[in-house]
Amino acid sequence: MTQDVIKVTINNKDIQVPKGARLIEVCRDSGFDIPSFCYYSDLALQASCRMCLVRIEKMPKLQTSCTITCTDGMVVTTQSEEIEKAQRAMVEFLLANHPLDCPVCDRGGECELQEMAFDWGGLEERFTEKKNYYAERYLSPMVANDPQRCILCKRCTRVCDEWMGEDAIEAGGRGANTVIGTYGGWLDCSQCGNCIEVCPTGTLLDATYRHQARPWELAQTVSTCTYCSDGCQMSLGARGGELMRVVARDRYVNGLNGEFLCIKGRFGHPFVNHEARIRTPMIRYKKGGKLIPATWDDAIRHVASKLDSIANKHGRNSIGIVGSPRLTNEALYLLKKFATDLIGTDNYAVTDSVNLTPFFANLGAPLATHRDIRYAKTIVLIGGEPEELQPLTGKQIRQAVRNGGARLIIFNSVPIRLREQASQFIHIRPGAEEAAVLALAGGATDSLVSRKMGIETAELEKVRGTINETEGDLIIMFDGSLSAAAQSALAQLSYLLRADNRRVLFHPLPLYNNSIGALDMGMTNGAIDVTQMLDAAGRGIRAVCVAGSFLPEQLRGREESLAKLDFLMVQELFETDTTSFADVVLPAASFAEIDGTFTNNDGFVQRVRQSIPPVNQSKADWMITDQLARELGVEFGFGMSASAVFNEIAMQVPGYAGLRYPLLKDESKPVQVKHDIAVQRDISNELETVRTAVEQMDESPEKHNDTPDVGHELFKIRTLTDKVAQFHLLAAGNPRPESLNVSPLYQITLSDDLRAEAVVAGD
Amino acid sequence: MSQQLTQIRPLSQPVHMPDEPATFSAAVEAEIDGHLAKYPVKRSAILPLMFIVQRERGYLDPAGVLYLANRLALRVTDIWEVATFYSMIQTRPVGKYHIQICKTLSCKILGEPLITERVCKKLGIKPGETTADGRFTVSMVECLGSCGTAPMFQINFDYHENLTPEKVDRILDSLP
Ligand code: SF4
Ligand code: FES
Ligand code: FES
Repeated sequence: MTQDVIKVTINNKDIQVPKGARLIEVCRDSGFDIPSFCYYSDLALQASCRMCLVRIEKMPKLQTSCTITCTDGMVVTTQSEEIEKAQRAMVEFLLANHPLDCPVCDRGGECELQEMAFDWGGLEERFTEKKNYYAERYLSPMVANDPQRCILCKRCTRVCDEWMGEDAIEAGGRGANTVIGTYGGWLDCSQCGNCIEVCPTGTLLDATYRHQARPWELAQTVSTCTYCSDGCQMSLGARGGELMRVVARDRYVNGLNGEFLCIKGRFGHPFVNHEARIRTPMIRYKKGGKLIPATWDDAIRHVASKLDSIANKHGRNSIGIVGSPRLTNEALYLLKKFATDLIGTDNYAVTDSVNLTPFFANLGAPLATHRDIRYAKTIVLIGGEPEELQPLTGKQIRQAVRNGGARLIIFNSVPIRLREQASQFIHIRPGAEEAAVLALAGGATDSLVSRKMGIETAELEKVRGTINETEGDLIIMFDGSLSAAAQSALAQLSYLLRADNRRVLFHPLPLYNNSIGALDMGMTNGAIDVTQMLDAAGRGIRAVCVAGSFLPEQLRGREESLAKLDFLMVQELFETDTTSFADVVLPAASFAEIDGTFTNNDGFVQRVRQSIPPVNQSKADWMITDQLARELGVEFGFGMSASAVFNEIAMQVPGYAGLRYPLLKDESKPVQVKHDIAVQRDISNELETVRTAVEQMDESPEKHNDTPDVGHELFKIRTLTDKVAQFHLLAAGNPRPESLNVSPLYQITLSDDLRAEAVVAGD
Repeated sequence: MSQQLTQIRPLSQPVHMPDEPATFSAAVEAEIDGHLAKYPVKRSAILPLMFIVQRERGYLDPAGVLYLANRLALRVTDIWEVATFYSMIQTRPVGKYHIQICKTLSCKILGEPLITERVCKKLGIKPGETTADGRFTVSMVECLGSCGTAPMFQINFDYHENLTPEKVDRILDSLP
């Protein structure tokens, strides 16, 4: 695509810009600073703060550069006495009702208004009238609100609407009495906290971090989120070995998510310093006995001798090695190496509930990046609920539709919230997701597919029609509901669906922060999967070493399995169902305490950086594996350096060739793994398998007709979110407290019933 | 310190959200349908619908707000945003006679403070309040477009112009 280039002159400098460029961005890119409050890139224009004024020749008054689209030959001045006078007047206006008590405000030190007042403010306040006053209050367990500090830039209401589609926060009232808030004063939403993030002043504040620290006391470390597969970049703010908060403010971090984070990324971190963290290595000397604290050396020696004797007695394949898809690439790589090279077992697996191996083996087109999603022309979403499970993807889809005019086609058995954005929502029977692959592959099976899905045949023709009309990017997203054959066929469909003016990209929706990394590291191609391993416990499998814990759904119906093992070693942060059977428990370090990398669903390899020293006696998972290997007589030779492990990954794993930590340094330019693109091949066998499966599909299950509540996945209490008190309030339905002036944490004690309802136990 | 601060009208005090939205008679529903049919986008009908709900229920009570949100496919907070913008839309119960005193420039210069003082004194309430018997509510509003006959106020839908304190007495006394 070629773009028309036009010329504008800014402060006597001629600049070539693409047609349609926004003046404020052009000025900033050319090195002319323009102050602004309400302008926010890729949100609806507001033009309420009037800080961005410039003089444009031939226009009568000063203009707001945030709303001006450049035209050819435009002559602009960004600095003059006239402009400065206007801007100074604006700051004076903004401060008229603003309290001048920055020392007691949580935003002090990183407040845009404070900075602007330094640059453009007067020395003296001329405004002597009464100031508007409004008491501080809580809007939710996560959001604190000090309405009098508001400058009405409405960034918060716009992100709530345009990013989240929630419209939970709005501006009520009029004129000088306008107040940001909600109907009834209580914020019922997904509690993403993005309104807090984009607020330039101290009006919306993180209630969990309130009055805990000052920003300048915090050491800021850029790292990657440990929750979902979107891999948001975030800044960890730590003080004295304690993780105080997580933000995505662009002054600290500038990743693929911009300033977006979801509730888990932003508020889900208190598990890091939680008192329930396992403190020391522990050994259970006798089955049924107690776990007794031990030294690292003793514990590792104990594990080594057990593994040794079991391998001698039952053979190497009697040992199973399991890793969690939450671990870093370094840890997973080393686990795999430990399993195959040192133990020599074929039985290794990840505790992921989705296995994308068949998809990646047949991958016919590259993975879409989140930026690609934002500018896609057509998006096909098969199953899944990105708003709850991959929230950044959800936001990108919404913006693609709302701001970019993309068309969204959804196949889902549940009327998920995103359907409000869909140009076509195909309400299918539960379990019929597979059939969507057949429909995309062509019309031959339409009558079968539509019957099984419980829809009209015309719907499927319409889908293909939309795809055929697409010029630009077509992005296909799918979740774990597809079978191996369907995944393989889908991965090859890019060859069929692409055209000269149409690019096909894939965006799989795995559930964990490093699901894709685990696959890349080869942890998913062991001889058996986790459930098979559990089923073989006590027979083929005698000992298991797991970094992380088994998922509740994997243990369901297999509660006895772990007890049947001769030996179980667990590396964990917290005590879980799995550790209760462990013979040795080793305290693992969380993502905030280690260096490493995660690979997200874009295929971006992103850095995880150490923010605080390991809590208690914990160690990075890869170091535990390394130490165990040493005890078993093999020196991997990585010392204390995660980057040395990564260097070996770069040599051994094809897609990572040539990568080094220094190349991953800049989070604003993430590096995409080069997943092998498979050549086009005949997929009629796979399609036939899918067709037979669809033919046998049950036509009885009812479609779900209710849109699930906001947060039904996000607020679930699992091992990590269980450690955040506020999540319990949300999981129990976010009850509104008596008084909005006191934190709900001090007002609401959850009854045991509600607490039990909130706890679904963890991953 | 406290004299330097004015408390903003408490805009979003806790409300008890009912489970069920308000219901209306078939005739009112038909009227609402008529308004909805006029606009290509549902939410555009928000103002006429608000007036109807207010007319039927006296003010936009939580059940009414919920009804509007459902009817217009908006969220309650969207309704709140619009409702609090307009002084003609009430989010709290008002008296039988709603006295809206214009406080904008022309009226202010020509004696609004005296008028307000007289009204308030006579009724024994402050602007924003309702008398205990539920007959009168006084509020201060922006220009009502009657600057030529300032000062003025509006009682329900009627204008009373060229006011003087004595005239205020007469008007208030003559109300049934
Ligand atoms: S969207 Fe995913 S990666 Fe981003 S903050 Fe939320 S859980 Fe973390
Ligand atoms: S940034 Fe242009 S008016 Fe606010
Ligand atoms: S100023 Fe009172 S009617 Fe215009």
